[in-house]
Amino acid sequence: MSTSSSSVAFTNKPEELFVEKHVRYIQSLDTRKDEFEYWLTEHLRLNGVYWGLTALHLLNNPTALPRDETIKFVQSCQHPSGGFGAHPDHDAHLLYTLSAIQILAMVDALDSVDTAATVTYVAGLQKPSGVFAGDEWGEEDTRFVYTALQTLKILGRLEAVDVQKAVGFVLACQNYDGGFGVVPGAESHSGQIFTCLGVLSLTNSLDRLSPASKDQLAGWLAQRQLPNGGLNGRPEKLEDVCYSWWVLSSLAMLGKLHWIDQNKLVGWILSCQDEVRGGFADRKGNAVDVFHTVFALCGLSLVGWGGLAEVDPVYCMPVETTKRLFGPK
Amino acid sequence: MASYDSDEEIDYSTDPDWSHITPLPQDDGENPLAQIAYHPDYVVAMSYLRGVMAVNDHSPQVLKLTADIIGMNAAHYTVWGYRFKTLMALEASNSLEGEKANWSWRKELDWVQSIAKQYEKNYQIWHHRQLIIDHLNDPTGERERTNEMFASDSKNYHVWTYRQWLVKRFSLFDKEELDTMELLLKEDVRNNSAWNHRYFITLGRLGIESPPEGVIDREVKFAKDAILTAPQNPSPWNYLKAVLRKGNINVVSLVDFCGQFAPIDSEDDISSSHALDVLSEIYDQTGDLGKAEQALMLLAAKYDPVRKNYWRYRKRLLGSGESVPVASEKAPAVHATV
Repeated sequence: MSTSSSSVAFTNKPEELFVEKHVRYIQSLDTRKDEFEYWLTEHLRLNGVYWGLTALHLLNNPTALPRDETIKFVQSCQHPSGGFGAHPDHDAHLLYTLSAIQILAMVDALDSVDTAATVTYVAGLQKPSGVFAGDEWGEEDTRFVYTALQTLKILGRLEAVDVQKAVGFVLACQNYDGGFGVVPGAESHSGQIFTCLGVLSLTNSLDRLSPASKDQLAGWLAQRQLPNGGLNGRPEKLEDVCYSWWVLSSLAMLGKLHWIDQNKLVGWILSCQDEVRGGFADRKGNAVDVFHTVFALCGLSLVGWGGLAEVDPVYCMPVETTKRLFGPK
Repeated sequence: MASYDSDEEIDYSTDPDWSHITPLPQDDGENPLAQIAYHPDYVVAMSYLRGVMAVNDHSPQVLKLTADIIGMNAAHYTVWGYRFKTLMALEASNSLEGEKANWSWRKELDWVQSIAKQYEKNYQIWHHRQLIIDHLNDPTGERERTNEMFASDSKNYHVWTYRQWLVKRFSLFDKEELDTMELLLKEDVRNNSAWNHRYFITLGRLGIESPPEGVIDREVKFAKDAILTAPQNPSPWNYLKAVLRKGNINVVSLVDFCGQFAPIDSEDDISSSHALDVLSEIYDQTGDLGKAEQALMLLAAKYDPVRKNYWRYRKRLLGSGESVPVASEKAPAVHATV
């Protein structure tokens, strides 16, 4: 969402990560409520809190957002159905339900909402084909399979749904080029590949893909790197910082992170930061936002950038959190 | 940015249409994380939406109210949902085309298209459209509408997803669909979305069924012709390999075709890394491991060095019988899963 007209100062020293500035940028988001973009992105508010909080954890500043207010806000987004909306004024949807549960997992406050109701809400959205609808309006998408299953996994209630059917649906979405799309037949897209591999990983089903098919997929993902080091989401599209997460986490789940040139990627990601105000843009020259900021940091964390906390490629949360939830791997 | 897309601005506080609705202000409580300074027009419209939703009001003016809000914030999924519910309620009471609403499904589809053109990245719009067309059970004109969208962005993922739904829902695996893909690929041979859709309508929908007579040959030729125009374009290479697998044709049959883009003994004349990639597979299969290795080393050193670790990995697999990485062809037919 590049609606800001303010100028952005991009770094010419791509070897440096401006940790303090990024922390301040994320903290400042909450004080910009008088700006036009803020209410325009209201439908993403709970996602935004999740993105900001994850970024702060990776920057080793997990307490930079006030914990009590964060919990109160999440509570205010829960509906009687058990699902969460993006904002108290919005209907429940799986996308926000996962963000709510992830936020509470990160601040260790899962007992502050009615999680039994959340399980019922999520389970009610599974369809006979195994896919999940995002909400009562019925849009179906492999993203929602991932958000549903991760929510249940965090809550320790995967058995509440038909996991094998969900996995079957995801497998049916694999294309001739090795990638995955939103539904069977839809074009391969790095974001959808992340969600599909996430489903297979968190259900211990990655071995349902043959070794040859994993290689083909990892080869396709590695092809997403462009000569400047950045990654794109589909063939013949522009590079974008958010794919530093979708592509890299997918390669990490397949154990093939080394199939791309990590040094070139790091240099390219760092060139997208605003060295004065903090934050990352989708690519150099555009306005920064919290979405691209968290995925830039996640990407840097995956390739082991010093000074950042480790991120879990399956859950997109700090490893510290997933260890607490699931025990060490 | 805060432009209105409805025909006229509505003054909710004085318009008699709205006198029976009590506007409900947003209740943020004491929570500082949730308080937002909204645009005043948006605040008023949303308070009336809360008002109508509280009494489950689906009267005709809800169409104006929701259009007003969508014009300010097209991503507000709750508003789209309530609008659809209202349209269905008006139809059920035979008042959608009545004097008061003066609306129709056709007008709704035209309006949705105008919003879609304004907000190309929005997906609620396409789901709304899908709900309507599914309800009307009539795809007339819909392919033309998506073609209009492709004119400004031929890779719009939301539009392609809708198009595939349309083809599946109404079994439009026909010549018109194939011709459209041919046209799109003529305009931009690098359009991976169109390649994917072409596979979907020609072979992908078949699942484990055998392709009809002549389709494999036709698609092999189509892909090869496209490669001749742009040898370094990955999409037709992926397509070609997939078609051969579907037709149970050995990739070795491509040896001469690849050779023209990748004469490995004449390095400076190599015009396609993808041809080198396929050649390494071919030579591996024919037991020509020296040449297979030569092709992979050319890729690692010169033609695709960003991914040198991948090519080195492929080199280690040579001679193992596992060097041709492909997705399983066990995917069920699309109708069985959706």
